[in-house]
Amino acid sequence: MANKGWDEFEIGAMLRSFDGKVDECSAFTPQRDRNYSENNSHVASVADWRLIKPVFNKDYCIDCQFCWVYCPDVSIISRDKKLIGVDMDHCKGCGICVEVCPTNPKSLLMFPEQADEETELANWPAKDEEK
Amino acid sequence: MLEIRWHSRAGQGAVTGAKGLADVISTTGKHVQAFAFYGSAKRGAAMTAYNRVDDKVIMNHEKYMEPDFVFVIDPALAITTDITINGKDTTKYIITTHLSTEELIKIQPKLEGKEVYTLDCITIANETIGRAIPNTPMLGAFMKISGMYDIEFFKESMQRVLAKLPQKIVDANMVAIQRAYDEVK
Amino acid sequence: MAFDKMELRDIEVWDGNHAAAQAMRQCQIDVVSAYPITPSTPIVEGYAKFKSDNYVEGEFVMVESEHAAMSGCIGAAAAGGRVATATSSQGLALMVETLYQASGMRLPIVLNIVNRALAAPLNVNGDHSDMYLCRDSGWIQFDAFSPQEAYDLNFIAFKVSEDHDVRLPAIVNQDGFITSHTAQGVYTMADDDAYNFVGEYKPMNDMLDFENPVTHGVQTEEDWHFEHKARQHNDMMTKVSPKIEEVFSDFEKLTGRKYNQVECYDMDDADVAVVCMGTSVETAREVATEMRAKGLKAGVVGLRVVRPFPFAEIGNALKDIKAVAALDRSAPGGAAGMLFNEIAGSLFNTDSKMLLSGYIYGLGGRDLLKSHLVDLFNELQANADAGKVLTQQQQFIGVRGPKLAYL
Repeated sequence: MANKGWDEFEIGAMLRSFDGKVDECSAFTPQRDRNYSENNSHVASVADWRLIKPVFNKDYCIDCQFCWVYCPDVSIISRDKKLIGVDMDHCKGCGICVEVCPTNPKSLLMFPEQADEETELANWPAKDEEK
Repeated sequence: MLEIRWHSRAGQGAVTGAKGLADVISTTGKHVQAFAFYGSAKRGAAMTAYNRVDDKVIMNHEKYMEPDFVFVIDPALAITTDITINGKDTTKYIITTHLSTEELIKIQPKLEGKEVYTLDCITIANETIGRAIPNTPMLGAFMKISGMYDIEFFKESMQRVLAKLPQKIVDANMVAIQRAYDEVK
Repeated sequence: MAFDKMELRDIEVWDGNHAAAQAMRQCQIDVVSAYPITPSTPIVEGYAKFKSDNYVEGEFVMVESEHAAMSGCIGAAAAGGRVATATSSQGLALMVETLYQASGMRLPIVLNIVNRALAAPLNVNGDHSDMYLCRDSGWIQFDAFSPQEAYDLNFIAFKVSEDHDVRLPAIVNQDGFITSHTAQGVYTMADDDAYNFVGEYKPMNDMLDFENPVTHGVQTEEDWHFEHKARQHNDMMTKVSPKIEEVFSDFEKLTGRKYNQVECYDMDDADVAVVCMGTSVETAREVATEMRAKGLKAGVVGLRVVRPFPFAEIGNALKDIKAVAALDRSAPGGAAGMLFNEIAGSLFNTDSKMLLSGYIYGLGGRDLLKSHLVDLFNELQANADAGKVLTQQQQFIGVRGPKLAYL
C-alpha cells in the first residue's frame, strides 16, 4: 500500500476488500476474476517467507480436500472439488497440507525451495508397505 | 422558595413521594426539584429526600437545606435521628407516630417549642393499602397543614401519578390520603 | 416490527436518568448493549422497560461487563446501526479500552455517563473523576447541568456524532444523583418531532453493505498508526466544533432552547468569574446573582462541550476578566486540575492579564454549598483588587482538616 499522507485515506482504519461494487456474492467469481483492492492480502505475495515448498503429485491424490480445509493461508487451489495446485504467492511453506494428506505415498511432499519440481516428481517415493 | 425535607427508611417510598409531589405541583405551573440522599444504602437504612418549589427556575443544586417543612414517615426516626437539623424558627414538622404530639415532644425534647403535627401514617397505610408504605398519607397530611391545594384536586392529580399501579391500590391510596388529611393534628 | 409511540405532557417531571432514557427511546436506536451500574442503572433499566412495553423496535443486548457492553456497541455500529449505552465510574473504567477502539474506528456511538467518583474508597456519589478518565479518548464530550439538558443533549449528540464529516462517538455527561436522581420539570418533544430532528440513520462503510465488503478493526503499526491518529485529531479539531454550532442552532429553531459550547452567565461586564461543570454551574449562577446584589461583578462560565475543548470560546469569554477560578471536581493526581490547565492554555501567549486560581471541590459527592461560592467570589475579588493571586494556585474547597494549598 502506498505511503499516503494523513489526509489521503478513508477514515476509521477501514479497508475495502474490492475496488468498486460487488454485483453478486463474490464466492461465485473465481479468485483471478475478482477485482481485489490494493489493500487486499490477495495482492500481497508472501512467497519469500518460504524455505521449503509443497510439491503436488496428482497421480496419488484422491481429492479428499483435507489440504484445502487445513491450509491456514487458503493457498490450496481447488476447482470442482479437484485439487489443481498450490497458490505459490500465498503459501508460506508450513507443511500442514503434507501432514494431513492421507494417501500412501503422500500426494504432497515438502522439498527445499530451490528443488526442481520435475526431478522430485520423477523420484517420488514408492508406497510404504509397512503402513 | 418552599423547601421540604423527608426523613424515611429506604423502601418506605420517600423518593416516590417526593417525586409524586413534585409532579403534582409542576402541573400548576411552578418549578420543582425532588431528590434524595441514599448512596448505596440498603432497604431499611435511614435516608432523606428533598423537595424544592419555586415560581422561577430552580438553579440551586446544594444538598444543604433549611427546610420549611420536615416530613417524618418512619416513627422511630423522630427519636433516633435529629430531625430538627438545619431547621428554622418557622419550620413545620409533620411526624408519623402512634403517640400524641405532647407525648412525642416529651420523648424528643428537641421538638419543644416547634410547630409539630402528628398522625399515624403507618397504621393508615396498613389499614388502607395493606402495606406499611406511609408516603401518600404524609402528602394528604401536608395538604391539610399547608393548605397548598384543595384535597379533591390533589387526589385527582395523585390518581394520574399512580396510574401505573392496579386500580385497587390507587383507590386504597386515595382513602389513605383522605384519612391522613382528616386525622392529622 | 411495529412499535408504539408514547404520549408525553409538555412538561414532565423527570430525573436526569429518565430524561436520558426517554431521549434514547425517541431516537429509535437500533442496538443498545448495556451492563448497568449505579447511578446510571435507571437509564438502561428504563430503556429495557420501554423495550419490553413495545415502545422500542431495536435490539437490547444484555452482556457480562461494561467492556462487553461497549464492544457490543462497536460491533453494532460497525455493522451500520444507531447505537447507544450508558455507564458510570468503575464501569467506565473497565470500558476505557474499548472507548479508544470506538473513536479510532470512527464509529458514532452515544454514551451517557452519569458521573461518579472512582474507588478507592468505594463511593457511588457524583464527581467528575470518570469524565476526566476518558478525556483523551477521542470522544466528543457534552456536559449537562440539569435533567432538561441531559434530555436535549442526547439528541444533539446523535446528530453531531453521526454526521459523515464527524463520525466520532459522543459522551453526554450528567452529575450522578444531583442530576441523575433529581426530578425536575423537563420540556419534552413529541416522539415524531424528536425523531425527525435526529433523522434516519445514514450508514457509512458499514459491514452490512454486502456490495462493498469492508474490514474494520485493522492493525497498522508504525507505518500507518500516526497518520490515522493525526486524521482523527484533525477532524476533532476542525470539523466537530462547526457541526456542534450548526446542530445547536437547529435545536434552538425547533425548541427555543439555546445551547453554547461555552455557557456565559453575566460575563459581559464581570470582574470575577467561576468556571465549572455540571450542576455546580447552576448553583454558581444563583450565587453570582446574589453577589451582584452586593455590588460584586460576578459571572459564571459553564463548559457545555468538554471535548473538543473550546479554546477560542473560553479565551474570548475570559480574556478581559480580572480574576478567574477553575473548579475541578476530580482528584488531580499530582497536577493542576484539568480546567485550570486548559484555561491557562487558552490564554497563555496572549495579552490577557487574567489571574487564574484552581480549586478542587466536591469529591465523592461532597456538597458544594452556596456559602463556599460566596467565599470563593470574595477571594477572587481580593485577587482582582490586589492585581495578583494572593493564595497558592491550587486549593481545596469543603474538605475537613488543615487547609490544603499547593503550587
